[in-house]
Amino acid sequence: MNPFKHKGAGQRIPLVDGIEKVTGRARYTADLFAPDAYVGRIFRSPYAHGDILRLDVSEARALPGVIAIITGEACDQPYGVLPIAQNEFPLARGKVRYIGEPVAAVAAIDDATAREALKRIRLEVRELPAYFEPEAARAAGAVLLHDNRAGNLEREVHHEFGDVAAGFAAADLVREETYRCAEVVHAQMEPHAAMAAYDAERDHLTMHSVTQVPYYVHLTLARCLGMDAARIRVIKPFVGGGFGARVEVLNFEMVCGLLARAARGTVRMTLSREENFLTHRGRPQSHTRVKIGMRRDGVITACAMEMTQRGGAYGGYGIVTILYSGALLSGIYAIPAVKYDGYRVYTNTPPCGAMRGHGTVNARHAFESLLDTMAKELGLDPIEVRRRNLLRAPTETINGLKVMSYGLPQCLDAVEGASGWRDRIGRLPKGRGLGIGCSHFVSGSAKPIHFTGEPHATIILKLDFDAAITILTGAADIGQGSSTILTQAVIEVLGVDYARIRVIANDSAITPKDNGSYSSRVTFMVGNAAVQAAENLKKILVEAAARRLQAAPESINCMGEIYCVHGDSNRSASFNDVVAEALKGTGTITAKGTFTCPVEFQGGKHKGGAVGSTMGFSYTATVAEVSVDEELGTVKVEKVWSAMDCGRAINPLSVEGQVQGSVWMGMGQSLSEETRYEDGRHIDASLLEYHVPTIVESPDVEVHIVESIDPNGPFGAKEASEGALASMPAAVVAAVENAIGVRFTELPLTPERVLKVLADRKRREARRRRAEPAYEEGAA
Amino acid sequence: MEPLPDFQLLKPRSVAEAVTARAASAHARFLAGGTDLLANLRSGLIEVDTLIDLGAIPELHRLGAHADGIRIGAGVTLEELAAHPQVARDYPALAQAAAGVAGPTHRAVATVGGNLCLDTRCRFYNQSEWWRAGNQHCLKLAGDTCRVALKADRCYAAFSGDLAPALMVHGAIAEIAGAQGRRELPLGELYTDEGRAYLNLAPHELLVALRLPAAGGLRSGYEKIRIRAAIDFPLTGVAVALRRDGERVGELCVAATGTESRPLRFAGLEVLQGMTRDAALVTLDKLIRKQLGMMETHLVSAGYRRRATLVVAKRLVQRLFAA
Repeated sequence: MNPFKHKGAGQRIPLVDGIEKVTGRARYTADLFAPDAYVGRIFRSPYAHGDILRLDVSEARALPGVIAIITGEACDQPYGVLPIAQNEFPLARGKVRYIGEPVAAVAAIDDATAREALKRIRLEVRELPAYFEPEAARAAGAVLLHDNRAGNLEREVHHEFGDVAAGFAAADLVREETYRCAEVVHAQMEPHAAMAAYDAERDHLTMHSVTQVPYYVHLTLARCLGMDAARIRVIKPFVGGGFGARVEVLNFEMVCGLLARAARGTVRMTLSREENFLTHRGRPQSHTRVKIGMRRDGVITACAMEMTQRGGAYGGYGIVTILYSGALLSGIYAIPAVKYDGYRVYTNTPPCGAMRGHGTVNARHAFESLLDTMAKELGLDPIEVRRRNLLRAPTETINGLKVMSYGLPQCLDAVEGASGWRDRIGRLPKGRGLGIGCSHFVSGSAKPIHFTGEPHATIILKLDFDAAITILTGAADIGQGSSTILTQAVIEVLGVDYARIRVIANDSAITPKDNGSYSSRVTFMVGNAAVQAAENLKKILVEAAARRLQAAPESINCMGEIYCVHGDSNRSASFNDVVAEALKGTGTITAKGTFTCPVEFQGGKHKGGAVGSTMGFSYTATVAEVSVDEELGTVKVEKVWSAMDCGRAINPLSVEGQVQGSVWMGMGQSLSEETRYEDGRHIDASLLEYHVPTIVESPDVEVHIVESIDPNGPFGAKEASEGALASMPAAVVAAVENAIGVRFTELPLTPERVLKVLADRKRREARRRRAEPAYEEGAA
Repeated sequence: MEPLPDFQLLKPRSVAEAVTARAASAHARFLAGGTDLLANLRSGLIEVDTLIDLGAIPELHRLGAHADGIRIGAGVTLEELAAHPQVARDYPALAQAAAGVAGPTHRAVATVGGNLCLDTRCRFYNQSEWWRAGNQHCLKLAGDTCRVALKADRCYAAFSGDLAPALMVHGAIAEIAGAQGRRELPLGELYTDEGRAYLNLAPHELLVALRLPAAGGLRSGYEKIRIRAAIDFPLTGVAVALRRDGERVGELCVAATGTESRPLRFAGLEVLQGMTRDAALVTLDKLIRKQLGMMETHLVSAGYRRRATLVVAKRLVQRLFAA
C-alpha cells in the first residue's frame, strides 16, 4: 500500500498563489516598481482603411519631455503567431486597416507629456473603401486589404469526410438553418500592460508582459527587433486572466520593446480598457449554415456546415480558428459523413483571435441547436437524441482525431438526474424552460505551431541543501491554476508535504521553455512532464535512501516524508536525511521531465489536419434553466447544471471553478455580450457598454465532475478550462424555446432581439388568422 | 481613462464658503462622492482647475424629519438614504431608487446631490478623447453637430440619475444656495430639456438639500430597466406614487429618468382621478406615449426604451394597486 496515495492528485486545495491574489500582494505588470521608467503611448489610426500619405511626428518630437518616437519604419519584420500567416507589423507600414491600429508610439517622461505628444502627431491618408462585413469584403471588385489574398479571403477550407451525399440520402429528415453569433471578446480583468527595460551598454532587453505565451513573445521580439534571442529576457509576472486574449504576441509588446530601445531605457505601457477592445483577438462574428441528416430514430447520417468568420484586419490565429470550427464537428458524436466549408474573411475591424473554446463555440452552438430542432420534429427527447449518437472510445474519427476516453454518456446521465429533467421538461409554467447543450474540447493541440523537434513540454525540479523542491516551469499561470496543478502532480509522485514545494514560473533566464497556456495544453502536457520529472527525482532519492539504509534500491519504500526498507520499518530515513545523502558528491540536484505528443495523435493527413488533433478530449453536458419576460424581452438564467468529463480532477475545487467560469462566459455570449462597430468605429469599447454579466446575473452553476480516466493524461486527467463554454449557448437557446416556444438563431439574446422575434411571430400569427391588425411597435 | 489632471483641492467648512469658492473660479467644480465627476475628468469630458470638496460641510450631511416630512442633505450618501427607516417607510420609491444605483461601492460614496446633478449621458459623449476626436466631436463638447439628431440645434444627451423621478413623484422641493442667498424650487424645475445646460443652476449655486412633504397615504415605487442589474445606468427608470380611493385612483404621479435630457414628470395625470385601475392604465399609457421624447442617445434603441418605460409604468401601477 502506498501511504501517501493521492496526497497530490484529487485534493481540493486552494490555488498555491491564491493568497497573494486575495491579499493584494501579487504584483501584476502594471504594479512593477520602476520609478525611472518612461511612459509609452500609442498613436492609433482614426481611419478604417487607407494608404498612409504622410506621418509627421516632428512637432511631437520637439515637445520637451518626449524621449523617443517611433513609427512603422522602426520595424520592417512582419509578425504573426502562425509562421504561415505573418502579415502584421507592430506599427502600421504603408497602410492602415482598422480604426485603432497602432501607427506611431511615444516614450515620454510622464503621462501628460506622452498624451500631448500624441496630439501633435499628424497622419494623412488616402482613404480606401472599407469593409466591415464579410459580404462586402468578399464582393467582386472589393479593394484588397492584403494584396496576396484574393477576395479578401484569408483562408477557405473545403473538407469532406465520408460519403455526405449518401448520408443525406439515407436520412429520414434533413433540415438546415443559419445561425449568427456576434463577435465577443475576453474582457479579462487585467488590462494589457508591458514593461521593457533596454540595457544600452550590453544591448540586452528585459520584457515583462501580461502574456500567456512568453516563449512566443521572446521569439517575436527577437524577430521584430532584429536582436539575438540570447540578448532578450522575458518575464511573466502575475497575470489577471487571459481567455485567449494573450495567446498570441500583441502589437503593444513589440512597440514597448522598440520604444525602450529607441529611448535607451525603460518604458512601461498600460493600455486603457478601450485599447484592450481595439487590440481585441476575441471570437469572430460568424454566420453558420448547418445541415443535418437524421434517421427517424435520431441517428445522425450526415452533417454539412458552411461557416463564415469576420476575421478582422490581420491573420493572427485566423487559419487555425476556421479549421477548428470544422475539425471539431467530429470527436463528440458518431457522425459517418461530414462536409465543411469555411471562409475566414479579412475586414477593416480589429483582428480576431483565439478565445476560450477556440473555433468550436459558434459551430457547436449551431450544430446543437439544429440537433434539438430536429429531435423536436421527430418527437425525440433532446437528451435521448444525443444518446443515440454517442461514440465508443477508443476510436478514431473520420477526420483522423483520436478519442481515447469518453465520459459524455455519464455527463448526460448526471445533468439529466440533477436537473430533474424527466419530471420537469415540458411541465414547467410558461415563461420558464429547460435546455441542454453538449460540447468537447482538446487537451492541448497535439502538433505545436513551431516545429522545432523539441519536446512539447519540459519541467525541471531543483532539489538542494534545504530539502526544498523548486518546480521550474515556463507554463504561464494566468489564473487558471497551472502552477497549482504542477505542484499537485509532483506531490502525487513524491508524497512530500506541500510546504517543500515552490514554483518558479516564467522567467526565460531561469525556467525551461514552454509553448504557453493555450488550447488547454498545460495540465495534460506540462503535467505529464512534471510527473516524469518527479519520477526521475524519486529514482535519485530512492537510490540515496538505499545507500543510507544499506539496502538494495528495489527494497526501498518511498513514503513521502520517510523512506524505509520494505518489511523492516525500523530501518528508515527522513526525507531530509535522504536528501543529504543524495547531495553527497554531487551537490544541487536537478531532475528533468519532458513530454511529447506521439505523431500518431497529431491529426489526419489532409491539409489542416493537425488542427483539432489532441491526445484527449474533454466532454461536457449542460442543462440551463431560464425564465423569460415576454413583455420586456429579458432572459434570466436561473440555474445551470454542468457535468464535465475532465478525465481525472487533479484539483476538483479548481475544476469546478473553471467549469463555472466557462459556463458563465458562455452565458455572457448567449445573452448580452457583443462588440459593435459603426463605420468601423468600436462603439462599446468599455466595460460599461460591453455587457459582461455581473454577479447579479450569475446563476448557481452546479458542477458535476465525471472522471473517465484518460489513458494518457497525467493521473488520467484531461482539460477542464474551456470545454464547458460551448455547451452553454445552445443550452440557453433551447431553454428559451422551451419557455416561450420560439427558437432564436441569433446571439446574443438581447431584450431588443427577443422582442423583435416575438413581434415577428405575433405578426405571422396575425397574418395567419387574418384578423387582428399587425403588431404595433411600442405596444406595451 | 487618463490620469487625473492637476487641480487645486479646497475643503470649505460651510455652504457660504463653498459658494464663494465656486464663484471665484470659472473652472471650479463641486466634488462630493466623485463617482461621476472623477470618471468624467479622467475621460477628458470636463476641464477643472479647482475642485471644491463638500465633504466637510455638516449641513449637507443632515438627514431627518422636518416639518411634516423629511429633509435630505445633498451630501447624504445613497447608502445612507436607502437604509434610512423613515425613507424606506414613507418614500419607498426613493429608497428603491437609491438602493439600485450602480454597485455597493459606488453607493457608499455617491451622494444625493451628485445623483441629482449627474452629467447627462450620450453614446457619442461618454467616449474617450481619441474616440470623440475621430468622430469629429459633438454638440455637447467641442463640436457643432449633435450626432443624435444631425440637424438639431440642441443637445439630446439624456439625464440618467435615479433619484430625481422618485423625489419628484413625492413633490420634492430643492433648496439652493448661491452668492445672492438661498432660493427654493420644485425639483422638476431644477432641470431643463437641454443636454448641455441641463441644470437651472447659476455657476456659483449649490444644491443644499431636498425637502419632501409628508407621504400622506401615497404608496410609491421605483423600477428601472438596464441590461445588467448592477453597474449599468438606467435605460429607463420610472417612479410612481399612488393614492388609492377604494378601487379607484385617488392620485397618481409618474416620473421617468433616462428618457430625455431631464427627468420627466408626466403631465395631465389628474384625469386619472376616479378611474378604475384598468381604465387608468389605458389612459396612462396614452399620456406617457404622447410625452416621451426619447432619442437615440443609447446603444439600446429608443424604441425599446420607450416600450420598456410603458411596461415598467404599467407594472408599477399594478403593483402599487395590489399592495
